[in-house]
Amino acid sequence: MKLKKILALALTAAMTLSLAGCGGDSGNADDAGKTENAGPAESSDESDEEGGETAEDVDISSLAGTTISVYTHGGNRVLGEEKKDENGNTYRDESYAYLKHVAERFTEETGINVELNVVTDESEIEPLFKVEDSSVDVYTPPNWSLEQWAAYAEPYCTIEEAVEMYGDYAYAMPKDDTYIYNIMIGKAYDQCVVYNEEAIKSVGYDEIPGTLDEFNEMCAKLRDAGITPISMHRVENWPLSTINDFACYVAGDSTAFSGMLKSDTPFSESDPFGKTIKMYTQWKADGFFEPEVYTDFGVAMDSVAYGKAAMMLFGSWVVPQIQGRVPDGTDPSIIKFAPAPDFGAGRYVLAAPADGFSISKFSENKEAARAFIEYLADDAQFSADSGNIANKKGVEPVVPELYAIIDSMVESGEVQVMMKPANDENMQNNQAVLSEANLWADNNYAGLLFDAMDVTKPDDWSAYDAQVEAQNKLYVDYRDELGVSWVD
Amino acid sequence: MAKESKGFQAFRYIFLVLSSVFVLIPIVPLIYMAFKTGAEYTETSVLTPPKNWFNMYNFAYAIRVGNLGKALITTVVVLAISLTLQILFTTMAAYVLHRFEFKMKKIVTSLFTLTMFIPLVTTQTVVFQIMYKLKLVSTIWSVIILYSGVGCVGLYIMFNLLDSISKELDEAALVDGANYFTIFHKIIFPLLKPACTTLLILNGISYYNDFYIPNLYLRKDVRTFTVALYKFFGNTATPFEIVAAAILIGIIPIGIVYIFMQKYIFYAMAGAVKS
Repeated sequence: MKLKKILALALTAAMTLSLAGCGGDSGNADDAGKTENAGPAESSDESDEEGGETAEDVDISSLAGTTISVYTHGGNRVLGEEKKDENGNTYRDESYAYLKHVAERFTEETGINVELNVVTDESEIEPLFKVEDSSVDVYTPPNWSLEQWAAYAEPYCTIEEAVEMYGDYAYAMPKDDTYIYNIMIGKAYDQCVVYNEEAIKSVGYDEIPGTLDEFNEMCAKLRDAGITPISMHRVENWPLSTINDFACYVAGDSTAFSGMLKSDTPFSESDPFGKTIKMYTQWKADGFFEPEVYTDFGVAMDSVAYGKAAMMLFGSWVVPQIQGRVPDGTDPSIIKFAPAPDFGAGRYVLAAPADGFSISKFSENKEAARAFIEYLADDAQFSADSGNIANKKGVEPVVPELYAIIDSMVESGEVQVMMKPANDENMQNNQAVLSEANLWADNNYAGLLFDAMDVTKPDDWSAYDAQVEAQNKLYVDYRDELGVSWVD
Repeated sequence: MAKESKGFQAFRYIFLVLSSVFVLIPIVPLIYMAFKTGAEYTETSVLTPPKNWFNMYNFAYAIRVGNLGKALITTVVVLAISLTLQILFTTMAAYVLHRFEFKMKKIVTSLFTLTMFIPLVTTQTVVFQIMYKLKLVSTIWSVIILYSGVGCVGLYIMFNLLDSISKELDEAALVDGANYFTIFHKIIFPLLKPACTTLLILNGISYYNDFYIPNLYLRKDVRTFTVALYKFFGNTATPFEIVAAAILIGIIPIGIVYIFMQKYIFYAMAGAVKS
């Protein structure tokens, strides 16, 4: 009887506690983009028809005392990098809070106050945009559609002005036919190999091998040595978006992803994108990705920082974060950045604009917001600390050490720089087809193939092949339904 | 009553023990995590116990950085005001709908029932705009107003109890010269106390756990506990050992409520099912 009572009590307690854990639905009723304000935005009152006043047009001193609110998902640049102290406890190292530091300097110099807000995801601020709230002044970019940019972002400048300031990188920034909505103050190399030098040295390699076969051989050695060759963080789909850029390397063509429009079998191995994703899934089948599920990306980064895993396939943005996580007493420069191997079409790095900032269309402090963004663009050290290279005309760039390997290889001709393609009609049409086919959201175009891979045995790819066929059909059906095709 | 066979009794106990294990398993790693260092969390399995059960670092960190004390006070204030208002409104609405005959009574009652079939998220785009126009977004009043409304479940819990309260009581009071407000205030409301307790517990736990509404309406420094908890989640990286400690801190108030009110919680669950 007593046992029964104890069980009843335990179950009720557990039920109450489990109720304490089911905190409602966090679901974002994402009806984003359904605005009436689609298409190119008209400049608001504060900005002229050329897409807004430039910083030079405004007397900054008149803005002293203004407070701007900046919203960003980059918590590490506001709160500092998460590190472990000598006892292994997590703490924030504020010396890595670069955005906070630069904002403080900006306030000192201009008298404009900056309130930094960290959001887990920018979709949190979208409800405020929908009611045209003015409490957001500056924000870092979500993965928005052009309609959303036009509805929520102040045109920063015209494309011509952006090209003058940022060169050809401007074409790859979020834009419509006339305006840039998200100014990207730095440039970086998208999708290379981020690696722990000590980990690869432990299996006899000093650098990332130049060919796919050699790369696979190194991965096998790492795996056999008990080191995870590639930390993928597959528990989420977003890391798979890197495949888009790797497809460019596979094809030797920067338009490989939007080039899906050209094919009736874009997900098949015969096409660059399909070939790339097959390469990834083969790595998975070969046990080159982490066997366990990392609970979050921080743990995945730690795995490389601590040498439990050897590599990650990401852009330069991740390098300072992993370097900030190496154990105390370890030289952060063991985390290095190198070009991907030659996948058959040559060895490339994709140069892209980086570190975007937008002004809210509903901000009442647009001049101060613009002054802050320009201040960031002028601060070459801020870009370098963030893993990027300042790209604004007239700013002497500080090149972070992490670029040393790539730069020397580019100089020697071993590696070619490929420019990130313009955010053009083909890119938007490809996105539209994938969206209509329900493959765009959450990078499902790659995620579903990986999921199919999960039920595929290494020697039986039938589930994967069936998914490829299904996605090919979906893609072609919706492409034809939308009536879009590749435009030369 | 036929005596239970030993075999069945054994099965019953095995089933209950397994159910307990099944329910408790997710909580065990949470407790382990809360006492682990960040490095330990990264390096060990979630089912490995912590090396030091006295490591309070994560708790202190969570309280200091997450401002959990303030968040808990905000939560208590929101719950206290909204549950008080909700009980008041629900009992009054139930009294009127149960005791009085008036035109369109059935339609009004049906409308309350209808709300049960409308998912909360589908209404929030419009509700958010209304709250915004009223300048209530980012204040606790937006959440309090949304929590204070009369819900269909609450109404039926009240109806259930009102069925057992004789109408003759109301009539006798009327004969003695009491007005309807006095009848409600002096007779009906005190008799509805058990149903009020049920509602208080059910909605108290539900609101304490709610994340969607407070996350949508409360911004910047005004946060309920669940929203404060969410702020530990980074866009890419999250210190889960800190989050685990914060969750355990969040469980403390509800645990205390459980210890002191377990009798009423049992009753509330049973009463709600009956209703």
